[in-house]
Formats: sequence, structure tokens, C-alpha cells
Amino acid sequence: MIPVSREERHWFLKNVARALSEFSGVSEPPVPVEEVLNHPPAVYQDDFGVVDMYSNLWDATFARPPGRRGSIFVRVDLDPEERRFALARETLCAILTSKHGRSLGMPDLLMSELKDSTEYFAAHCLAPESLVQAYRAQGGDEEGFAESFQLPAAVAAARW
Amino acid sequence: MSMQALNQLVSRSIVDPTVVQAFRSGRIGDVLDELEFTSDLRAQLEGIESDSWAEFAVISYRYVKAAEMPAPRIELPSPLEGLFPDQQSQADQEQVA
Repeated sequence: MIPVSREERHWFLKNVARALSEFSGVSEPPVPVEEVLNHPPAVYQDDFGVVDMYSNLWDATFARPPGRRGSIFVRVDLDPEERRFALARETLCAILTSKHGRSLGMPDLLMSELKDSTEYFAAHCLAPESLVQAYRAQGGDEEGFAESFQLPAAVAAARW
Repeated sequence: MSMQALNQLVSRSIVDPTVVQAFRSGRIGDVLDELEFTSDLRAQLEGIESDSWAEFAVISYRYVKAAEMPAPRIELPSPLEGLFPDQQSQADQEQVA
């Protein structure tokens, strides 16, 4: 894989987020991330799933047991905004380790900067460019951004 | 316009396996024909050699970004400059004298 700049990686991730946003057909926030995980694009049918768990170790983590459907194991007691962000973040792990993600070459592009990639993707998955532009055009301000898009406050501040 | 087309292509590839199938079988030109690239860019993109679709996408991004950047304006001095004596400096010299 050729060396790739942060800007180029982010550009690619914005398009991954855009793909899921367009697939969900969402026209206004919030983006139904859990709905997408439960009813994914056909190419990820065997890679997306959500399992609630009791744990103090992680907020969420993606795992694919051998020969079985991959799932995001998410802590059951997270705040709704934290849960959405954790699910969106782990969705990228599900995509890039999927058969289709591997056929696209996504691991080579994203694995070396996985934390930054998953967090950047999650912020754009939950607040896609088109919806943010529409929100701003309608006079939406920074104060209402987190609530409208159901984002954790720190994520909203960074995304705004 | 071409960047929009590229964004459309890359986001489509994330959910539509026919894009990467076309890329792997050397038929990416067929997919590029469906999008609004200029003919120059289309030819450049079709000629990219890469190890993976993700790498193809990044190299395409570089091409499209370069094509959409405004050409740098080079400000050359006027060809008349230096042909006429500098009246102001001549006046200064007279003042000194």
C-alpha cells in the first residue's frame, strides 16, 4: 500500500460514512445506526450484528467468531449517545474486516491508524456532511447540534 | 464535478460489490463511464495501476484534486519595464544634486 496522508484517509472514511448514510435513506438527524446494523447492506449481511453485554471492560468491541456472524458486543448500561457513538465506531471495524472490506483493501489503508479512523468515521457516520450542511442551512447552531444528532458532547464539539 | 463523481464512486463501492469486481477484472472503465468525469481524468483514472481498490481510490483522489486546483498565476514583470528611465529616481537624483 502506498503511503497515505491523514487527509486522504479521512476523505476515504467520509465516503464510507456517506455510503451507509445513503443506504439508510435518512433525510434528517439522528442517523439510525442501530437500525443499519440490524438491517445492513446485503454485502455485510454476515458481518453486522449487535449483542448487549454486561461488562466493565469496554464500551463496545467487534468480534467475529470463526465461521459465525460478526457482532458488536456493547455494554448494556451506556448512555444512548455513548452507545450510538460506540456502535458507529465499531461498525468500521466490522466493515474493514468483512470479506467485502478486505476485497476493497481497507485493512491496508486503515489498520495502521485504526483508533483515529474509527473515531473519525463514527463522527461522520452519525453526522454525515449532507445532514450537517442542511442543519446549518436551516439555522441550526452549535448548541443544538449534539441534541439534534444525538452525539456525545465532546464528539459534537469536535465535529462542529 | 469530478470530485463529486469520485465521491459517488467510492461510496458506491462500499455497498456495491460490482464496483470492485469491475476493478479486479480490468473493467473499471465501464464504471467510470457511468459517472461525470472529464475525458482527460477518465483516461488518467483508467490507467492507474494499483494493488487494491483502496489504493486506486486514493490515487484517483490525488488526480482529481490536482485537476480541480486552480492553475497557479505567474506574475511576470511588464515587458516595458526597464525600457524607460525611472523618472522618479531621476528626480530624486536632481534633488540631491
